[in-house]
Amino acid sequence: MTSAALAQLNRPAVRRSATSALSYIIAVLAAFLVTGLIILWLGQDPVTAFRSILTTSFRTSFGFVETLHKWVPISLLALGFTIPLLSGKFNIGGEGQLLVGACAAAAVGITAQGLPAVILLPAILIAGTAAGAVWAGIAAWLLVRFGVNEILTTVLLNFASFGIVDYIASEVWSDPAAGHPTTIPIADAGLLPTFGAPPVHAGVIIALVVALVAMLIVRRGTAGYELRAVGANPRAARVHGVRIAGVAAAALVVGGALGGLAGAIEVTGVYGKLIEGLQTNYLLLGIIVGLIARGNVVALPFVAFGIAVLEVGASAMQRTADVPNEMVLITEALILIFILASTVVQPRVGRRSR
Amino acid sequence: MTEMRPTTPAPLPQRAPEPALLRMHGMRKSFGTVVALDGVDFEVAPRQVHGLLGGNGAGKTTLMNVLYGLYRPDSGAVEIDGQQVHIRSPRDAIRHGVGMVHQSFLQVDTYTVTENIVLGTRLPSFPVLSLHDAHQRVREMSERFGLDVDPGVRVEDLSVGLRQRVEILKALYRGARLLVLDEPTTNLTPHEVDALFGSLRAIVEEGMSVVFITHKIRETLAVCDRLTVMRDGRLVTVVDRDAVDARRLAGLMVGELSEAGEEIRDDVAAVIGREGVEEADALTPSSATTTPRMVAQGVCADNDLGVEAVHGVSLTVHRGEILGVAGVAGNGQGELVEVLSGIRTARSGSIELDGSPMAGQPTARWLAAGVAYVPEDRTRDGILPTSSIAENIVLGAHRSPRFRRRGFIDSGAVRRTAATAMSAYSIKASSVNSPAGELSGGNIQRVILARVFGHDPNLLVLHNPTRGLDIRSTQFVYERVREAAAADAAVLLVSEDLDELMHLADRVVAVYSGRIVGEQSRGAYNPYEIGRLMTGVRGEV
Repeated sequence: MTSAALAQLNRPAVRRSATSALSYIIAVLAAFLVTGLIILWLGQDPVTAFRSILTTSFRTSFGFVETLHKWVPISLLALGFTIPLLSGKFNIGGEGQLLVGACAAAAVGITAQGLPAVILLPAILIAGTAAGAVWAGIAAWLLVRFGVNEILTTVLLNFASFGIVDYIASEVWSDPAAGHPTTIPIADAGLLPTFGAPPVHAGVIIALVVALVAMLIVRRGTAGYELRAVGANPRAARVHGVRIAGVAAAALVVGGALGGLAGAIEVTGVYGKLIEGLQTNYLLLGIIVGLIARGNVVALPFVAFGIAVLEVGASAMQRTADVPNEMVLITEALILIFILASTVVQPRVGRRSR
Repeated sequence: MTEMRPTTPAPLPQRAPEPALLRMHGMRKSFGTVVALDGVDFEVAPRQVHGLLGGNGAGKTTLMNVLYGLYRPDSGAVEIDGQQVHIRSPRDAIRHGVGMVHQSFLQVDTYTVTENIVLGTRLPSFPVLSLHDAHQRVREMSERFGLDVDPGVRVEDLSVGLRQRVEILKALYRGARLLVLDEPTTNLTPHEVDALFGSLRAIVEEGMSVVFITHKIRETLAVCDRLTVMRDGRLVTVVDRDAVDARRLAGLMVGELSEAGEEIRDDVAAVIGREGVEEADALTPSSATTTPRMVAQGVCADNDLGVEAVHGVSLTVHRGEILGVAGVAGNGQGELVEVLSGIRTARSGSIELDGSPMAGQPTARWLAAGVAYVPEDRTRDGILPTSSIAENIVLGAHRSPRFRRRGFIDSGAVRRTAATAMSAYSIKASSVNSPAGELSGGNIQRVILARVFGHDPNLLVLHNPTRGLDIRSTQFVYERVREAAAADAAVLLVSEDLDELMHLADRVVAVYSGRIVGEQSRGAYNPYEIGRLMTGVRGEV
């Protein structure tokens, strides 16, 4: 084949990725446009608001560190949502998995006082990860054994996890001085090391490594291949010797493990203890990131970073422009809606232009 | 089938020039970049069975779907009785007297024949549902046209052949004067085909016309008055039945091959019906041996609903042998095929491959033992639509050491294998990274074959491997299947196409209702007898 012919053949692929990048940009711009209109309607200044949202993360080093710290749970939960999604399963239990992971991390960190950091810290992280895996494992088992829908079970397990957090934080290791369900602090040796000033906790590096490993396994690994095969066409995968139930269950368990790890990092890196409500809205953000990235594990960390920037900017916006920080959630949701809409519109436009 | 040519009224051209019933002029239709119809003219005279002949992808069905209002043409004009008409929906088509019977029927299973036929029409008794008159009319029509079917029976209890009669009656009940039948003989037994042809003659004698879409030359010669041959979206020629013979039609149909200076291949010729079956027999040397490769004994298996669909089937396929399985769809052959390729677990019975027991083993073990499966539904069971061609070609072998490197897929090896396969199997795509779901049916089948033969099969199981393929791809499949047999594989070929079975297979067994009901060997094939067995009638031969 001549190189000219090759260029000719490759053009559709190039055009396809170019149009999809363009549709992302248009979706983001449109989301900001609509948000701006809403802010105007509220009688505030959209320019000030947007400046706060977009620049807070980069203007000060504090803002940047805060962004990185928010990026960790968002990207981990987004991966925990995306990996099962690649096999066609919906893990909506990231919140519960994060919380049981945080509980397990706190439990080990509080009870194992006196152990050296080299033992205690890995033990805490492993305990959190394992707890998340077990939590999602319940849903996986119910799915494989009885065919119970995983969306239902993972969501319901979120509610179960609230009870566990409440019990641990207000009964077992309650800190009576806190005035809010909170445990006593974990052993100092269990805290994640930090570096730089203002301090960045090492969870950022862990999350980075996890993201890279996930990319490698999903894209190039045999397990990732089977995962994608089950998601693409479970019947064909089964016909060709892939145990589809096993793959889906494993994907859910891995997703849960990532949620648990996120919880353990929150405890050891950010709070040093278990606090009721530490999960904030990470589940929702993780799902938004997962859906925006559309199963692309390479794009996912970057999308997660973008969302972290918006989240950090949101609280600044509330101070500077007097716009409620929930406005950012509207923007994020709009980005998602516009991107989903573009998948409907894009093929039609493409067809017409042909 | 050839003797089925009831005496026809005098051929039309001799008559005083009657205005054409249907005239389509300059029909163009493209789907994206693919031109499906490239300025086609088509004319049907009154009282005529008009054959629309061509290979898959020739544009026959597209042309008729345009006529029936299912597709809007890019350009072109349609005249009925000399009046220009604009048909925008099947409702318009029916109003203008055009009725069409598709390959798959849309029927309400739990309704009776009459209820299905009147569904969507306005009964004179409206708003009261009184089916008495309709019932009488259906009965009367079915007698008049030889479309024998009980109007009071529920359609779910009917065979495919009878359901097709219901579809034809439905069109006639709605006042069709031009009846379009899309590949109506698929899935019919030879007896049913003869009966259908008899009905078509009766319909024509009543003053209506029939367009008969087919890719089988023998059938067009048996029933048609006039023939339009299409190829690659273009009209090739229009000829009278009496002015043409099978050899010439075959040449016109597969022009692509003849023009390239190639003789029309015996395979294709046999299957589209140029040659008699007996001749084809002699053409293909068998590589069958007497060493059993796959032995199944007393195999019982359930369908997806948990109802037993295969009842105690015993089969032996020898090394180098092609064993054909004939049957009307839905008689357990789908389940049988899945059991014998390790995808469905047998409820009981034993299956041995080269002497080692396989029943109950996981699918991956079957694959490793060299069992390869070409599924009937290519897109549903055969490919990962969003994955690349390369990833599709290694599916099933992705755990073999050839494609593994330290727990990862060796993407270099995968790409090299895929590139080799793409050229060896003439897969038309921009690169090995193109998503498999964007390929045409023929190219998807080539990807599946490339995968299957890449695994060096010991047992090759194929289910309707050429359904919907164009002539080149069909030819390609036959060559690969023979190669596999010559390389000592045992081949199990399940097909609804009797011609295909008799042409390729060394032995043919007939299945009916989950049981094997008869067997014939090469040299002693009798399609009528096999057809009888397939419909559950015990033969007296």
